[in-house]
Parts: sequence; structure tokens; C-alpha cells
Amino acid sequence: MRKAHYQKKGTIKGMKALIIIPAYNEAENLPRLFEELDEVAKNADYTIDVLIINDCSKDNTLAVCREHGVKVVTLPVNLGIGGAVQTGYRYAFYHKYDIAIQIDGDGQHDPQFIPYLIERIEQGNHLCIGSRFIENEGFQSSRIRRVGIRYFSWLIWFLTGKRITDPTSGFRACGKEVIRLFAQDYPKDYPEPETVVTVLRNKLKVSEMPVIMRAREGGKSSITNLKGIYYMIKVTLAIMIASISRKAR
Amino acid sequence: MNISSTLRTVLIIGSVLFFIFIINMVRIKKLELKYALIWILTSVSFIIMSVFPQTVYAVARLIEVEVASNALFLCIIFLLLLMVFALTVAISRQAIRTKRLVQEVALLKAELEEKIRNHETKSQSP
Repeated sequence: MRKAHYQKKGTIKGMKALIIIPAYNEAENLPRLFEELDEVAKNADYTIDVLIINDCSKDNTLAVCREHGVKVVTLPVNLGIGGAVQTGYRYAFYHKYDIAIQIDGDGQHDPQFIPYLIERIEQGNHLCIGSRFIENEGFQSSRIRRVGIRYFSWLIWFLTGKRITDPTSGFRACGKEVIRLFAQDYPKDYPEPETVVTVLRNKLKVSEMPVIMRAREGGKSSITNLKGIYYMIKVTLAIMIASISRKAR
Repeated sequence: MNISSTLRTVLIIGSVLFFIFIINMVRIKKLELKYALIWILTSVSFIIMSVFPQTVYAVARLIEVEVASNALFLCIIFLLLLMVFALTVAISRQAIRTKRLVQEVALLKAELEEKIRNHETKSQSP
């Protein structure tokens, strides 16, 4: 039912969209993701390219990507999530993509929502975040993490006046303006909440769309309990700094 | 002025050796002159202080610190803090530059590999 809805979309003629997938040791999760992405690309009437940013993986992530024939950029040095994702945005910027979609390589994000995210960008939003907490469906993360996310949500509302229910979501789509912004400047680690503020600060339109996320299939989260406190403090500071940062030209 | 002559001799020898060491590091290009300047100045002031300990007492009187060694510690700690901060700034700049370089190299490499692959498939099918 959802499929029929998005098949007629893709209004910009010759539009190009790039799906950016940062991957660090995701060899076991990628094949299934590729299948789901193929399904999405098949039903779209615009170009969808898939780009894997292989962040110096130690497993056979590269071989899996090659086998499937997707575009791969392998970083010679491990840069972490922020540096990897930014490489994707730089690629999108250099190759003049109209839309970039960011999605995790661990299978948490369901590609079937990608066309809806793209639709939101076509409707004039500059950044659209896939949120777990609008309809509260699917995997909702652990309780302690929800508290953290709520706090970030409150902090962003307090500093920018905009209500973002899922600022930590790495499932998002953006248009040319934001691609340019992220290609120039993107935080090193834990980038998601901070970048929302940067985009808002540049007077660009941010919206959210309900998505259903899954519990991760393999691998482990980049944020362990031990790092939790450090994460909260660092991201709080990053959000505050971003809200008083100079605007990009 | 009460400083034992043995200690003074050791301090003089030590600070002169330190000076020679730094000059040599610059000579064999292991230390950039830009960063060596502060160290050269530091070692020269060590030599001055060990040869003429009166200077330390003079400085202590000038900044109204009762014990000369405290004045010395204060000055050195202040200098060290400045140097560490300058290093942190330098590291941040290097980190940003390295990240940019890594990204550009990775993108170029991917581009090149794709070009080569396209070329190979083209030459295979006439």
C-alpha cells in the first residue's frame, strides 16, 4: 500500500539521490540491506545510487560491497562515524547529487522509508529526520537512552525553539543546501544532535517523519554504557556551541 | 645569596647541554625552527638564571613574591600552561587537516578505481 504511494513520486526530472552508508565491520549486515535497497531503487523513477563509506573495516566489508557492485569509498585511516559520513556528503557535493540520504549500515533503519524521506525533501524541507518517537512504533531503544534523547530534544527546543523528537536518529535525508553545509563542516563523533542545530541555525527547514526502526541485527552500538556520561556532556556542549556558532556562508 | 656552588655548577652544565641539544635538533631538522624558538628562549633563560642567580631574586622582588623559588615556579608553570595550550591548538588544526586529507585521498582513490574499471570493461567489448 505504501509502495503504490511512492511510485508516482520523483517529480524533479533527472533527479539524483545518493544513499550514504557508513560502515565499520558490517559485512554480516550489509547483504540484507543491499537487497532491501535494490527493492527501493527498482520502484523509484529517479536515480538512486548507493555509496558505502568503508571506515577501515577489519572484516570483509569491502569484498561484500564489491560483490554487490555498489559504490565504495574506503578510508585509508579510521575516521570514526562523523568523518566517514562527511566523506559521503563530500562525494554527494562533488557529484552534484540533489538529495543525500544517510542510513546506518547495521540494519536498524528500514530502507522502505527512504522514498518518503525523499518526498519530504522534494516538498521543500532541507533536512528530514526519520523519527522513532512520533508514532512510537517499532524498536524504541532502551529506557535510559530514551531519557537521554528526550533531554537532547528539550535542549534543542530550548536553544532553537524547534521541537525535534528524535535528534539522535542517523536516518535522515537532505537537499543540496545541507549537502553543501555538511561537506564543509561536520562534527567528528556523535554528530547527529549537533548537526540538527547547525542546520536550524543556518535558517534551513528541518522536519521529521515517523519511521519504524529495528533492533540492531549484529555488531554493537558505538555508545556503550561506560561512554554514556562522556557522551551526554560532550553532546550537550556541542549543541550549545552549535547554537552560538557562526553561520556558514 | 644562598645557593650551593655544586648545585649551581650542575644547573649551568645542565642548561648549557639543554641548549646544545635543542640547537642540534634544529640542525638535523628534527625540530622545526618555528617551534624551536620558544625552547631556545627557555634554555637561554635557564643559562642566565644558573649563571646569575641574582636575576631570579630580582624578579621575585619585582613581582613581590617573598620566596624566590616560588616566583620561579609561578613563572615556569605559567609558561608551561601557555605552551601546552598552544600545542592543543596545533593538534586540533592538524587533526582537521588530516581528516580533510584522508577524505580527499579516499574519494580520489575511489574515483580512479572506477575510471580504471570503466576503461577495462570498455576495452573488453569492442
